[in-house]
Amino acid sequence: MRLAEFKHDLPFHIVIVILVFISIYPFIFMLISSFKTTEEVFHNFFGLPSSLEYRNYLDAWKEVSPFLLNTIIVSVITMFGVLVLSSIDAYIFTRFDFPGKDILFFLILSLLMIPGILTLVPRFLVVRDLKLLNTYWALILPYIAGGQVMPIFILRSFFSSIPKELFESAKIDGASETQCFLKITIPLSKSILFTVGLMNFLNIWNEYIWPLVTVTEPKLFPITVGLVVFQSRYAGSAAWGPLFAGYTIASIPIVILFLFTMKYYIAGITSGALKA
Amino acid sequence: MGNKEIISPGGTMKKLFREIIKNRNCYLLLLPTFILLFVFEYYPALSAVYYSFFEWDGFTPPRYVGLENFIQLIFKDTVMAISAKNITILTLFRVIIAITVPLFAAELIFGIFNTKMAYIYRTLLVIPMVVPSMVNLLVWKFVYNPQYGLLNQFLKAIGLSNLCRAWLGDFSTALYAILFLGFPWISSLWFLIFLAGLQNISTDIFDAAKIDGVTGLKRIRFIDIPLILGQIKLILILSTINALQGYVGIMVLTNGGPGNSTMVPGLYLYNNAFYFNKMGYACSIGMILFSILLVLTYINLKYIRSSEEG
Repeated sequence: MRLAEFKHDLPFHIVIVILVFISIYPFIFMLISSFKTTEEVFHNFFGLPSSLEYRNYLDAWKEVSPFLLNTIIVSVITMFGVLVLSSIDAYIFTRFDFPGKDILFFLILSLLMIPGILTLVPRFLVVRDLKLLNTYWALILPYIAGGQVMPIFILRSFFSSIPKELFESAKIDGASETQCFLKITIPLSKSILFTVGLMNFLNIWNEYIWPLVTVTEPKLFPITVGLVVFQSRYAGSAAWGPLFAGYTIASIPIVILFLFTMKYYIAGITSGALKA
Repeated sequence: MGNKEIISPGGTMKKLFREIIKNRNCYLLLLPTFILLFVFEYYPALSAVYYSFFEWDGFTPPRYVGLENFIQLIFKDTVMAISAKNITILTLFRVIIAITVPLFAAELIFGIFNTKMAYIYRTLLVIPMVVPSMVNLLVWKFVYNPQYGLLNQFLKAIGLSNLCRAWLGDFSTALYAILFLGFPWISSLWFLIFLAGLQNISTDIFDAAKIDGVTGLKRIRFIDIPLILGQIKLILILSTINALQGYVGIMVLTNGGPGNSTMVPGLYLYNNAFYFNKMGYACSIGMILFSILLVLTYINLKYIRSSEEG
């Protein structure tokens, strides 16, 4: 049986291993080269490093860490803002009936059809006229505004799957609406909130164009913009070791985050995608 | 009869008003969301439509020019013509890639009997998603580096050094280098969605198909694909939207060059707004892209409905 299974799988294994290897080789190369001296990158291009050049990481850390900190501050605040607003909104849209509810919901729905490219320029002008350029708020407020749209839908469909009887019996026991929200809905939705938050976090982490136009002071650069600046400086002087160390440092926080949360994330993507 | 008509509108108005007062907390709690949406979404979207009919540098008063921006863009602007050609090639290529390669990978992993290995492969294929997209782009920029790049070093190592070139700086290869970026193009997200779709198909269906002798490619064609049509269409819509308005990769790798040979509408919009101070013109480009997206999405959605009914 084992042998038969192996015989069946073998051609699959061969093709998949080749595909997986090519897919992730650039990152393996990045990781290996980050431990080489610049000399060694030239002379021993494809090989393993002869000794671990940890100084690359010290050099790169000095350059990259302020950008990393900016991104962490902005994405954490944004994620909390998005989670708070979208869970309250979703709760209201599922639990209450009030005049204009459908219109308001349609207004939010319509945003899914408006591409970011259309609003980029006028949104920049708004932020400029509000005198928010070169502040964290220039990033956080628009990120929350746009970031809450998808979560409102996902959470609304999840909240409406919670049985109504649960709320009714809580009401009989004297629970207020706030308690229903905080003590029933939120605890039951932990994993979906987690997924939604993580998706948002990842989106903000990867934003490039928006900070590029609204933040011009290097001390406020997020990691994406900072890495491009860092790249042009280090690649210009062919300092490949520290450059790849910098790339690796920029990747580490998300890698660690995923190590702990990948299961939820994948479950969330696949179930959310089916509903959409 | 006459009385009723006069009274009832007033009555419903009063009732509506009472309902609104009763639910005032709902509106109050929704307010922060709608303030943010108004300031950073609705107002910008509406003013994009408005400014697309103006010539404006963003500072001095805008000057109304009617359809002039659109006429210029569609019929006269040569950079826009190159951008349109490039984005057509890129979008077609990327959309076809998005629905074939990740599906192929998902089918391969779905086909393995050894579940432990399948799990390991799946985890490895998620790595590209975990690495920040900017790191991915910068690593690919290095792949194409003329002196030290991975691609040229690899060609030298296998004795094909005559093929080495500045992939991103050469007019004849820059666009192909952009297309090749991310090879073998297994998008983690699309791959996961396809794999989940396949795993959701009931095993009874596969058993029945096996008895009827429907296996291999035949099974994929007549069972798998019809049953994951929902996923295919979702990815069709999303990858079209992404491909049509995306330009970060091109900005970082070539910035539209050499010359304008890899220019795309998104980047051209960006340059017009933030380098040439032509805000109105940039909004017109945004409007054109928005209209095209609207039409394409409409076609996609229409197609979904008809084929699910049929």
